[in-house]
Amino acid sequence: MSIKLEHVSYTYMPGTPYEKEALKDVSLEIKKGEFVAIIGHTGSGKSTLVQNLNGLLHPSKGIASLDGINLADKTKEAKAARSRIGMVFQYPEHQLFAETVYEDIAFGPKNLGLDHDAIDVRVQDAMKFVGLDFETFAGRSPFSLSGGQMRRVAIAGVVALNPDYLILDEPSAGLDPGSRNAVFAEIMALYKKRGITIIMVTHSMEDAAQFAKRMLVIYQGKVIIDGKPGEVFLKEKDRLLEAGMDIPEVYKLADALRARGMRLPSEITDAKTLLAEIKKRKGLK
Amino acid sequence: MLDITLGQYYPGNSFIHRLDPRTKILTTLLLIIAVFLANTAIGYGILCAMVVLIIAVSGIPFMMVLKSVKPLLLIIVMTLLLHTLLGQGEHVLYQWKIFKVTEEGLQMGVKMSMRLILLLMISSILTFTTSPIVLTDGIESLLRPFRVIGVPAHELAMMMTIALRFIPTLMEETDRIIKAQTARGADFSGGNLLARAKNMLPILVPLFISAFRRADDLAVAMEARCYRGGDGRTRMHQLAYRSGDFIAFVFAFVMIGLLAFLRWGLALHP
Amino acid sequence: MEPVIEVKGLKHIYTDSDNNRITALEQIDMQIMPGEFVAVIGSNGSGKSTLARHLNALLLPTEGSVKINGMDTMEEDNLWMIRQQIGMVFQNPDNQIVAAIVEEDVAFGPENIGVPADEIRKRVDEALRIVDMEAYRTHAPHLLSGGQKQRVAIAGTLALGSECIVLDEPTAMLDPRGRREILATMKRLNKEKNITVVYITHFMTEAMEADRVVVMNKGKIVFQGTPAEVFSRVDELEKMGLEAPMASKFAFELKKSGAKLPKGIITNEDLAEALC
Repeated sequence: MSIKLEHVSYTYMPGTPYEKEALKDVSLEIKKGEFVAIIGHTGSGKSTLVQNLNGLLHPSKGIASLDGINLADKTKEAKAARSRIGMVFQYPEHQLFAETVYEDIAFGPKNLGLDHDAIDVRVQDAMKFVGLDFETFAGRSPFSLSGGQMRRVAIAGVVALNPDYLILDEPSAGLDPGSRNAVFAEIMALYKKRGITIIMVTHSMEDAAQFAKRMLVIYQGKVIIDGKPGEVFLKEKDRLLEAGMDIPEVYKLADALRARGMRLPSEITDAKTLLAEIKKRKGLK
Repeated sequence: MLDITLGQYYPGNSFIHRLDPRTKILTTLLLIIAVFLANTAIGYGILCAMVVLIIAVSGIPFMMVLKSVKPLLLIIVMTLLLHTLLGQGEHVLYQWKIFKVTEEGLQMGVKMSMRLILLLMISSILTFTTSPIVLTDGIESLLRPFRVIGVPAHELAMMMTIALRFIPTLMEETDRIIKAQTARGADFSGGNLLARAKNMLPILVPLFISAFRRADDLAVAMEARCYRGGDGRTRMHQLAYRSGDFIAFVFAFVMIGLLAFLRWGLALHP
Repeated sequence: MEPVIEVKGLKHIYTDSDNNRITALEQIDMQIMPGEFVAVIGSNGSGKSTLARHLNALLLPTEGSVKINGMDTMEEDNLWMIRQQIGMVFQNPDNQIVAAIVEEDVAFGPENIGVPADEIRKRVDEALRIVDMEAYRTHAPHLLSGGQKQRVAIAGTLALGSECIVLDEPTAMLDPRGRREILATMKRLNKEKNITVVYITHFMTEAMEADRVVVMNKGKIVFQGTPAEVFSRVDELEKMGLEAPMASKFAFELKKSGAKLPKGIITNEDLAEALC
């Protein structure tokens, strides 16, 4: 069970003066049950990559497939395969359109051709999942909600499709720390409780370090780094900076301490461990 | 992401590209008059040769200019057929029931469709060789004298500038919204007209909301940068005529003179 | 020295769509001196954007006063002078660029105030050079990165002749590289050109670079001071939904566990020095 890209290249506007090759011969596999962070600066090709992963764009060269079904096919099977890969775009609250929260979330399930009762179950379920009380919010206009709530409605709209794979493009962009934590709690619940494979595009190294199990770094249309976040941040610092990225604060702090002579184990990847290590070395409780 | 070409500007640095936009707009108008003056085969021949010459000088692929005729192809064919089949005239070439093809009708049909094709090609050379932004500057400059009679030259130009600035942004946005709704299983193709219009709502509503938000932001940003309408405003780019522009005007007037002579001059001196 | 910005007892009340009167700002007193780099932080809805708009006379006080170089924003005659002197850069890089060519956009401000053509040309070239965007002079803005667009916006304020630039969350929509570009540009302008900077942000790492940090919550200024003073108040910041820098949080935790650390630890370097 996996999404596979085999030698995928993607060119925008081929044959015009504006031709641009956004992906260059990318091969990778994302297995069911993974939590993958995709990072790269604006224009690195990461948006093109995820759109190839879920069949919104079809490779100019190479094949994108889910469990062996080519996502570019026009068959019913391919359509069903594409619908198993959900996508939450950047600033998804900007795509809300319906008069009520209920209708907006029901849009996806309706398009799947579900009957009235099944849709109802899906909507209630999705709202519960993103922490929006059904009684309070179902009948309200999505446009009367706060930014964080709107984003949760938008995410619920994709969750209601019951995808096996969920791609999220910058899910925390523009949110303050409180809303950000709420959104990530939901994503983690989708990952852990529902076993949905999460593919998250992000600019935030902190988010990638904290949540992802695997990290892909995209630079100039290629995957230049593929590995566990902990290892990548420890070993690939220079290449990350070169790719316009950063490393999380905890690694920087640990480096600063090491530079001053504090002996710390090499594999510190989170603040709690670092704090405990410092306390241990300083004889504090 | 970038599947957007704005207008049909074909970047280049030819003699025609370098002309002042006012020159290009005015000479285009002059050449359009020349097309209307043509009434003989020789006249049309000269015009065709002229268009080929201009295209050659501009360095734009000939097929590309020819393609600009495509959107009106149906009308051109209809013009040809109507004139040919329903035209009046003495010299009947072919007759079937009420339809008769006369020599005069056929000539008229060919002339009228030639005229349309020439008009389309001449005006598309203007848009192929002039970026929309420069074109806007030209239009504003040409309209400025008419402000005394109430033509809002600055406002029109500002609207066009903002439109040009935001069309690509809004198209990207449309693309993103379509993809987002497609990812939720939306289908925008099926159904009758009403169903299709309803299918468009998930795209149009977010697009309108976003456009209004952008307009609001932009208005604030413009105000913060001291924008207060066209009065007392200066421009960084001052348009200036050069020798090339003089040549272009001479060429356009020569064409008009030539076709005027072909139309009336020959009749006066048989 | 006269302050560039002097806010006294500012109150701002507006009426929302349900006809409720909402107090967005209250009891705001603030002075900003020439050449200062002041960061304003606060969670969503703390009133920091509203405050920014008062500094450029885009909003006018319900009560109290805002003076720019001694000019009251309430007096209409001062309006255009104030807007020249205070340049604004907004959050969304797309929605503040007016023209379809970079240099035309930078020229927009000076064109509005009737600067002669030759002088505009000079100002535009100079402004684009300062923000390091000369190479993109004739590019279309929609093909630039977010950081580049924001630098064009900064150049626009410079070309207008602003000596003080107010930036309202300029990096909220940018990637890490764009964020670094903008902060570095503003620090350079502040140091080399003595431009006064009011930098509104929700990134604490950016606010750490300022001379002074103003913390806002629920329409009021809660406290202000040097970054060291402000970010030492870890628990108070967290109550307002703000996250202190990691080094401050660590120092706070370590002190709770009995460590003896000096005051004002905010950078990783500070902490490393104190611990090792």
